[in-house]
Amino acid sequence: MGGSYEVMSPWAEVDPRPLEGINPRLADLRGRRIGLFHNGKVAAKPITDAVEAELRARYDDITIARFGRTANLEVAETSDRARYEEWVKEVDAVIHAVGD
Amino acid sequence: MYDAVFTERLQKPAVALVNTGFALDARSAASGKGMPGVRVVAETVPCECTEPERIARGVHAVIDDIVAALTVPLTRDEQSPPPPETAGARGIVFDGDLAEVQRFFYQRGWTDGLPIIPPTEAAVEEMLTGTDLPRDCLVGRMIPRLGKVTVEKIAINAVMAGALPIYMPLLIAGVEALLDPKSAFGTFEVSTGSWAPFWVVNGPIREQLHVNGGQGALSPGDIANATIGRAMGLIVKNLGGARKGLEDMGVQGNPGKYTMVTAENEEAIASWEPLHVQHGFQHEDSCVTVSFPNTYLQIWPYGSDDKGILRAIMSNMVPRWRQLTLLVPPGHAQTLADAGWTKGEIASYLYEYARVPAYRTPEFWGTPGMQRVRPPLNAEDPTPLLRSPDTMRVVVSGGAGAFMGMAYGAGTWVTKPVTLPSQWERLVRKYRSLVPNHLRY
Repeated sequence: MGGSYEVMSPWAEVDPRPLEGINPRLADLRGRRIGLFHNGKVAAKPITDAVEAELRARYDDITIARFGRTANLEVAETSDRARYEEWVKEVDAVIHAVGD
Repeated sequence: MYDAVFTERLQKPAVALVNTGFALDARSAASGKGMPGVRVVAETVPCECTEPERIARGVHAVIDDIVAALTVPLTRDEQSPPPPETAGARGIVFDGDLAEVQRFFYQRGWTDGLPIIPPTEAAVEEMLTGTDLPRDCLVGRMIPRLGKVTVEKIAINAVMAGALPIYMPLLIAGVEALLDPKSAFGTFEVSTGSWAPFWVVNGPIREQLHVNGGQGALSPGDIANATIGRAMGLIVKNLGGARKGLEDMGVQGNPGKYTMVTAENEEAIASWEPLHVQHGFQHEDSCVTVSFPNTYLQIWPYGSDDKGILRAIMSNMVPRWRQLTLLVPPGHAQTLADAGWTKGEIASYLYEYARVPAYRTPEFWGTPGMQRVRPPLNAEDPTPLLRSPDTMRVVVSGGAGAFMGMAYGAGTWVTKPVTLPSQWERLVRKYRSLVPNHLRY
């Protein structure tokens, strides 16, 4: 096809910002307090139930703490944020069940 | 996934368990939040699974991976992620003939599958005549990628969609509607439910843009209806970064995502408040309203009087959906208005009397996420199909004939005013004659 087109990008720019790394991992889960989070999706809580059963079968000294949401919303954007922040302080790591 | 990022920001190691089909989506979500290294374990538990044994099997299969995600030391990239790819977002990105441009854009994933109009400097400059805002004006940042939605980027995507410059004010208002947290756009745009943005245009701008709210308004053939929705779809994809199968995880998809635009026939029933007036604006304001249906049903009345119309609506309402936009053609609207019905009374009446036995509702079966505070006790208890009268809107739209439209969705309606540029009347005159003149046969 004839003609030439110099075309502009439709793709958005994003703010330049340093990407964040993740936190160092635990040496072992023995004796740890593990948080199980479910986000309110149908399968999420049953998945945390299954994870708890698996962890307890492996580690007899593990402690489990739970935090659940009834609506699939970002917890940081809800009124549960402060309660979640307090809960996270009490655990060594968190396993998030998304449900899909 | 955002919750796992939040946990890491609270200085605790996290891992997210997601269905294997959502692993790429999870990665994009984490990157969009600035933390691409969040660990993800992909499991094979069926989405929305309610069977404990299958869930247990699926979790058992990945428990080693879960433990590893919390205990295996970090890689260098996880500790200090490399900067993201930023190429391709600025200025001229390609030079080629028409076919090459189509191929380039399609292969970049920047189209909706249909051919695009090449967004050249000249075409974008022309598009920008539709607004007084400077091209670098930042309207907002659109999730999930948090892409910067500038006026220039809106114009580029509008050119691609085949839109006219005169649509720019409405497109900018449309972006503002999506960015309003009340629209819950961030959930709907990427949800497995395949919710499609449904745009209703009100006020004088309907006529000025030739937005069809009459015969076959939701069918192809009107440049305004076709390209306004299409432009918004490209904006969501290219500025928000919601791409099908990567971030937009709609299971079945939705043809409404190509475009779903109508105008309300405000003049049909003078006594009925148009949608934007119901939402607090004045009749003379030009506005656009977005909502997110995922289902569109067309029904035939059981009789030509108001009772026959309402019976058909009640009989075709379905359990589960949380929001209903009822599209009533002007003939039925006149019948209802003549019998004394207002829009609000129709919604209140349907809330009161449109009921089904409890066993037909997901709440009765304890479907997670669908519970009521006080669920019905008996299978035959009459259960309302609307959560409240405010979960329904009546919009006069459509042409001659008897069919009504029912757009079922969730969330709410968000209406934004359209701000017109100083040279608006000149623009209207320039494009006023652009209408189809069909050959007679």
